[in-house]
Amino acid sequence: MSDLIEVRGLTKSYQKARGMFSRHTVLALSNVSFRLEAGQTLAIVGETGSGKSTLAKLLVGIEQPDSGEILLAGQQLNCADYQKTNHLIRYIFQDAARSLNPNQKIADILHDVLRYSTVLSVEQRERKIADTLKLLGLLNEHGNYYPHMFSGGQLQRVALARALILDPKILILDEALTALDPSLRAQIVNLLLELQQKTGLAYLLITNQLRLVRHIADQTLVLHKGISLDYGDTSAVFENPQHEYSRKLMKSIEY
Amino acid sequence: MKKLRLYYEEHNKGPFKLLWKHFSQQHFAFFGFIMLLLLLSLAVLTPFLTPHDPYLQNSQLLLVPPSWQNSGLVSYPLGTDDLGRDLMSRLMAGASYTFGLAVLAVLGSLLVGVILGALSGMSKGVKSSVFNHLLDLALTIPSLLLAIVIVAVLGPGLMNTIWAIMLALLPQFVHGVRNAIQQQLKQDYVTAYRLDGASQRQLLLFVIFPNIWEQLVLMFTMALSTAVLDIAALGFLSIGAQSPTAEWGSMIADSLDSIYLAPWTVALPGLMIFITVLAVNLVGDGIRVAMKKRREN
Amino acid sequence: MQLLDIRNLTLELSTPDGVIRAVDRVNLSLREGEVRGLVGESGSGKSLIAKAIMGVLHERWKVSADRFNWCGQDLLRLPYHEQRRIISRDIAMIYQEPSRSMDPTSTIGEQLAESIPDHLLEGSWWQRGSQRKKRAIALLHKVGIRDHAAVLSSYPYQLSEGVCQKIMIAMAIAKNPKLLIADEPTTALESTTQAQLFRLLASFNQLKGTSILLISHELESVARNTDTLSVLYCGQLVEAGDTATLLKHPLHPYTNALIKSVPEFQPDLGFKQQLYALHGSIPTLQHLPIGCRLGPRCPNARKECVKTPLFERQQNHYFSCHFPLSGKDHE
Repeated sequence: MSDLIEVRGLTKSYQKARGMFSRHTVLALSNVSFRLEAGQTLAIVGETGSGKSTLAKLLVGIEQPDSGEILLAGQQLNCADYQKTNHLIRYIFQDAARSLNPNQKIADILHDVLRYSTVLSVEQRERKIADTLKLLGLLNEHGNYYPHMFSGGQLQRVALARALILDPKILILDEALTALDPSLRAQIVNLLLELQQKTGLAYLLITNQLRLVRHIADQTLVLHKGISLDYGDTSAVFENPQHEYSRKLMKSIEY
Repeated sequence: MKKLRLYYEEHNKGPFKLLWKHFSQQHFAFFGFIMLLLLLSLAVLTPFLTPHDPYLQNSQLLLVPPSWQNSGLVSYPLGTDDLGRDLMSRLMAGASYTFGLAVLAVLGSLLVGVILGALSGMSKGVKSSVFNHLLDLALTIPSLLLAIVIVAVLGPGLMNTIWAIMLALLPQFVHGVRNAIQQQLKQDYVTAYRLDGASQRQLLLFVIFPNIWEQLVLMFTMALSTAVLDIAALGFLSIGAQSPTAEWGSMIADSLDSIYLAPWTVALPGLMIFITVLAVNLVGDGIRVAMKKRREN
Repeated sequence: MQLLDIRNLTLELSTPDGVIRAVDRVNLSLREGEVRGLVGESGSGKSLIAKAIMGVLHERWKVSADRFNWCGQDLLRLPYHEQRRIISRDIAMIYQEPSRSMDPTSTIGEQLAESIPDHLLEGSWWQRGSQRKKRAIALLHKVGIRDHAAVLSSYPYQLSEGVCQKIMIAMAIAKNPKLLIADEPTTALESTTQAQLFRLLASFNQLKGTSILLISHELESVARNTDTLSVLYCGQLVEAGDTATLLKHPLHPYTNALIKSVPEFQPDLGFKQQLYALHGSIPTLQHLPIGCRLGPRCPNARKECVKTPLFERQQNHYFSCHFPLSGKDHE
């Protein structure tokens, strides 16, 4: 199967001001490489400060890498050209409530997404919105609701609707399941698995919940201070961690 | 097919309706709001509502007391001033000067402030700072002093004081708008819109402005009370409105000589200024409390 | 000895829309040296119960219970200052986000020294200051912080969440409490630090005999570290008993769903298979169902579920369901 994402040697550092006159460089990511194929899930694991969120931002185009290449579907696209790349790759935020404009109805938010990135007519847009809402288990009437009228689990579905309405091939879930209750998380995980089976979506799951990773991720990448320590099939990484830090991480899920 | 309402609930309302609900539950704020609406309609409709001509002098009826006193007349409900002009008509005409012009001044300031603040908020670095601090020079001088300086340069008159007040209010609008926009830019949903492919202009118009207009209204009310007091103060000092203009501040100044003979000629304009500023402050407070309550829910 | 014995605790709030029963007749009991887990999702009322035990609920909540005994004394019947005296002497609590629960304007040393009660210091009054400092250093060593000099002079924002949580535990055990309530202590921490924290709590339980009430919404972490377990849903207690028995033979459909939604407890669940999940979502406080609150979502729901089921008991295993699951092995 062809690679949907291939990342080679990605490096990114930030300048942080220290005191009045000196600045020091923080190396957020250093020479990270991986691949992701269609219908597969890659989990990126690491603690805060390991560079996970930087990696997500680089892939989606919010930041530019210092060096390295990102190839989407075999072509090196500029990730910041949102109107081209968001048909391939979409991003789900950690807090669904904060990622939705509180002053707009859901249907209007979805209309805007389609208006900015596609050239569909109004009826075609309406139909697409109705289809997407149905796919995620929401009703047509929910389009007339404002974000504050939804419960937590439903908001995550709305965020998914906004991401999936452009029919992307890759979805980046940046700690999107961390804040949910277990039963809601199970529902969303089931939905994601079903979508992956039906449409061959690929997921890039950035999380700290190792038990979930073991269940749904095909491959795992362990990040520590910007360096990729272990990368490979999930079962191999979990059973034979090569580095000290990964070993500590795998042991911690005994508790 | 007709749309089906799933279930109707108190909090199944849009954000603006929720804000209105919280606002109208505060009785004082609602009362202030009604007062403001009355004053605004007075300011606009004055030429049609005044019982007598505000500038008509009547030498037979100098300093007539208000109608509730023994020697008062019903046809002059609030009495007359020292040139025989009907006080009630003058007070109503004053609404369009003191209040109406204050509203216009603040609106003008708001418009320029929004333009500069948006330019400053949407850019970064030196360009943003330049726009932000362009008019900070006006912060160094108190608004009254600034007005006196402008009048000294351009000559006295109502329009010149309007320019002075606009200039004095501009920096706080620019800073306020810029801060509000920068706060919005940090939000997740703005990033989400960027990722959806929105351009800067679409972002500003369709996402940022709908989310900051409530803070703009709050800034507007705070600036409005300052503007009303400034116009009245400048009118009192005879720098702003010149007599015979029926502006409340200059009415107080004109009638100050006869305060022992006819206290109502000084008290009543003062009372109108007080009511206006009180109403504006009540509404501003009410909006702030309503925004806080809506956020908590 | 029974430390905590709460029977039929009800917490009600009056709102413009009516009286809301956030916690509906919950029983909770704790013996000395026991580690009890309180599991529930958001809206289950577990944090409210913890606050009710500590006596820090807001005044608008109405607390009523048939029995609210602490070491035999009924706390609800005592005057307020007596309640506070007993609670502050014997019960301590640690919170979810430790760096937010500490005073950001004073150093750790000052806060730790402040939390040491007077009656535990020996010596005359001029020796108190140095005594406090010595005790503070000893407490930090007890929770596993070796480098006490650096930590004592820093402010909360300079330290990581894991270290802050350890400091909170140090402040909590400073007064040698009989009960330590841990309200979601590990949610904000990394997984390596979570393991350290659970080991720490277990050591306190074994060495000092402190009882622990561990509140969480994650079943996995609670299941490994507790002796007994109580499961809450929407303010109702659905099942309570020994952890091992509960996990092997859950009698309530909700407990069953919780266990099944964790892939770890089902070794024969294939990779990327669908997890068992109850349909629907947790009802909001304004729309609580009558009777058994799991009714709309329960796969076994029938007409009788409109009446709240009574508490039944099967050999130390309490449950409240009209149609409990027959004990199937979930090994």
